[in-house]
Amino acid sequence: MKDVYSTGEAAKICRVSQQTIIRCFDSGRLDGFHVPGSRFRRIPRESLIKFMKENDIPLTNLDSDKAKVLVVDDEPGIVELLVDVLERDGRFEVKTASTGYDAGLLTQQFRPDVIVLDYLLNDINADVVCKTIRSNPGLEDTRIILISGHIAEDEEDKIKEMGVDAFLRKPFQIEELVSRIGELLHL
Amino acid sequence: MPAAGLKRRKIELLLEDLDQVPTLPGLAHHVLTVATTEHPSRRDLQMAVEVDPALAAKTVKLAVDLGRSADDLVSVDAVFNAVPLSALVSDMLSTQAADAQLLQDVQLPRLWRHTLAVALAAQMTATRLGTVSPETALLSGLLHDIGQIALRILLPRAYGQVLEHVETGGGDLLEAERALLGVDHAILGKHLAQRWGFPEVFQNIIWLHHQVQVPEGTRPGIGSLAQVLRLADLLARQYGYGYYASEQVRENSAEVAERLGLSGAQADHIGRQIERAMDLNARPAGFNDHPGEDQMQQAYREANARLGRLDRQRARQTRAAEDACAHARRIMILNADLATRTSTREVMECIANALRDALGCRLVVPYLMARDGGYVEGLRCTAPKGVEERFLYDLPPSDDLARPADNPPPHTLARAEASHAWLFDRQGPDLGPGPFYAIPMTAGNAVIGGIVFARDEDAGDPGPQEAEQAVGLAVVAGRALRRAQAEADLVALSEELADANRRLEAVHRDALQRENVASLSEMATGAAHEINNPLAIISGRTQQLAADEQDPQRRKTLETVIQQAHRISEIIAELRAFAKPPAPRAAEVDPIALARRVVEAEQPAEASDGIRVEAAGTEKAPPIRVDANQITGALGEVVRNAVQACMRSGGGTVRVRVETLPAGAAVRFVVTDDGPGMEPEIRARAFDPFYSGHETARQRGLGLSKAYRTVQMNGGHMALESTPGQGTTVRVTFPSAATARVEAQESPDGNPLPWQADETG
Repeated sequence: MKDVYSTGEAAKICRVSQQTIIRCFDSGRLDGFHVPGSRFRRIPRESLIKFMKENDIPLTNLDSDKAKVLVVDDEPGIVELLVDVLERDGRFEVKTASTGYDAGLLTQQFRPDVIVLDYLLNDINADVVCKTIRSNPGLEDTRIILISGHIAEDEEDKIKEMGVDAFLRKPFQIEELVSRIGELLHL
Repeated sequence: MPAAGLKRRKIELLLEDLDQVPTLPGLAHHVLTVATTEHPSRRDLQMAVEVDPALAAKTVKLAVDLGRSADDLVSVDAVFNAVPLSALVSDMLSTQAADAQLLQDVQLPRLWRHTLAVALAAQMTATRLGTVSPETALLSGLLHDIGQIALRILLPRAYGQVLEHVETGGGDLLEAERALLGVDHAILGKHLAQRWGFPEVFQNIIWLHHQVQVPEGTRPGIGSLAQVLRLADLLARQYGYGYYASEQVRENSAEVAERLGLSGAQADHIGRQIERAMDLNARPAGFNDHPGEDQMQQAYREANARLGRLDRQRARQTRAAEDACAHARRIMILNADLATRTSTREVMECIANALRDALGCRLVVPYLMARDGGYVEGLRCTAPKGVEERFLYDLPPSDDLARPADNPPPHTLARAEASHAWLFDRQGPDLGPGPFYAIPMTAGNAVIGGIVFARDEDAGDPGPQEAEQAVGLAVVAGRALRRAQAEADLVALSEELADANRRLEAVHRDALQRENVASLSEMATGAAHEINNPLAIISGRTQQLAADEQDPQRRKTLETVIQQAHRISEIIAELRAFAKPPAPRAAEVDPIALARRVVEAEQPAEASDGIRVEAAGTEKAPPIRVDANQITGALGEVVRNAVQACMRSGGGTVRVRVETLPAGAAVRFVVTDDGPGMEPEIRARAFDPFYSGHETARQRGLGLSKAYRTVQMNGGHMALESTPGQGTTVRVTFPSAATARVEAQESPDGNPLPWQADETG
């Protein structure tokens, strides 16, 4: 659980724009401090809670500050493995899908920070899923990690064109997957 | 009586040296005159022989000496037919006349008259009888007393005594001979007849003509003839043609005649006709002539001169016959020699040698035209050296004058200079000085080639006989060449078939490989998806276990599981890469530099002792259009394979050579090793994926097959050749960049190009 938040994080938790948070911070309605030697603002957890209560903002978002990960694979064994790995880590809230259709639906509802996406799915392939996500401006912060045992080495150009942020080949090193998620989310 | 035995033996020895008996001077003169004329007639000679026992014996002996079958020589006619006129004339020209002293001492004319009378009487008797050939009867009459003639001539003085004895005391001539000489003329005559090879019937007549009756059973066919002779002898003596003047005839001719089936009157009629017959036959033959010494000498001189001329003529004929014989022999040898030659080249060599020997040539150039007339092949053969040069000339269609004429008079010898300009233009100085001659060689109606030759310096122009010989050889040669050509055509045809078969097999193998590779690609792609998922689960779960594991031993085990799972995945990836390799990025590449790069990269570590990788070959090669990285990798794979082969045989050298194929159409990398080589079954599968022929297998057996695929993708072709114990050679061939450009335009379907198909792997 975090003790200090950036203005961006605070904006996310309060579901307001970052500019609103900055204005409130600068006008003294939201207590906080500047990172020493810089202009970056930091908001302690208590002052954020106080600010939210004063402005009738629900506190629900504050408690789930875990990174949200959507695992999409048609192979149950892989899904189970990934859920197990990510939940053990403790930093992630994980939901799963086994088809492209479910993946699209959950992306809208769950708003995952990262989608761990298998290339070959039962209904549609990963490239279609990627295209749908990338065409939605509201999801521009969503990171996509593609994992596949199918794509050959010389097909990696194709992956870049799909707009994925990282690619891992099956079988993969668990540690590598987790660290790549961490890197993408600046955890 | 011992003295009689000794005498008999002496006589026998004298007889052995007797080759002919002289005749009467009148007869000799006559026959010499006939034989000396420009064109002696067979008939005139025959008439002379038919009245003369000496000439008759001489002629029969001549026929026997010439190898005629004695049993056929039973009449003068038969003898004359059996002997060539020229031989008869020569023989007659050597006729000798008895000298005057001899004539007088032993009364030769009387004996001759007797003999002829008997011969004519026998002929007439036989004619009357119809059961015995009159001609045979005549000849046996002429020959029947040959023993007595011989005795009189060999021993004139002793025989003079015999005659004196019987003339004064009467009595039997044979008994007197036996008493005084130890032997009678009947026995002696038989010996002589045997020695001269007379027909058996005459031998027996000569032996038995004094017997009163000859038993038919013991001597078949002789009986009646002997009886005819017996009657003729009696009649001759009764009518005045006895051995000696006072001879008394005791036997009754009528009895003998009756035994033959003739009446006494008939026999007497014959006897009375003898004189007339003698006159008719003997007189024209000079029987009654008495030529003087000078006349005889003249006749001898002319006969001698004639003999000399005949001799020279015969020598010439003999020489021609020898030449013809040598020619026939040469053709026979050539034919035998040619029978074992199958190539046109060998045949031409045989022909050249044969003609050189036959005509004394210092130069022989046999040549053969291709069936379509497109080229001429031949060889130049010189007298001491043999084959000097073999040649193959293109004869352009416009080169009409140079071409041997289409329709020359068959098989004639002609000067070669004008008709064979093509040869002189090309070989002029090598041919030496002329004159040159040419004979066409034909097969059927077609001219298939020819022989040009020049003779030894001192040999001069070939005469008609030599031309004929050369032509004869050319006929044989033409046939042999056509046969060799047909044989070569057959061989070429079977080679073409074998080649077509080989290509078909290569294409089939290629197709099979392509099919294998295609199904492999499909499988590998499926496998990549299906297998990598479970592998990811195995790997991931095991990673979790390993992370939690405190026991280092167990953790190590878990890590092995993870590694192996990843290795399976790598294999699949490699397989996919093999089945569906990345598309080459082609650019023009210098093959020499590429080969050098491979050699440098694949130099084995110093630890692998005794193995070297070295570059060899041309300094310059045309550029090829390939993906340099891919081909460096593929060649590297081939070299690594060769290095491993060398390692198995404990050392060796791997050579990488760059060859430029003719006309720069293609470039070939040749990688050879002196390793242990491959057994045929391993060699056949060398390019199959996952096939590793040896125990200590390469990683996964994909090396060579991947290299093969890569080379193929880059427009090249790879072939492997290996013999157990003799190392392995891999040839990797690419069209040169220039060729590839042309082919890309001409062969868009990507079929194997001709220069690829000739590689069989």
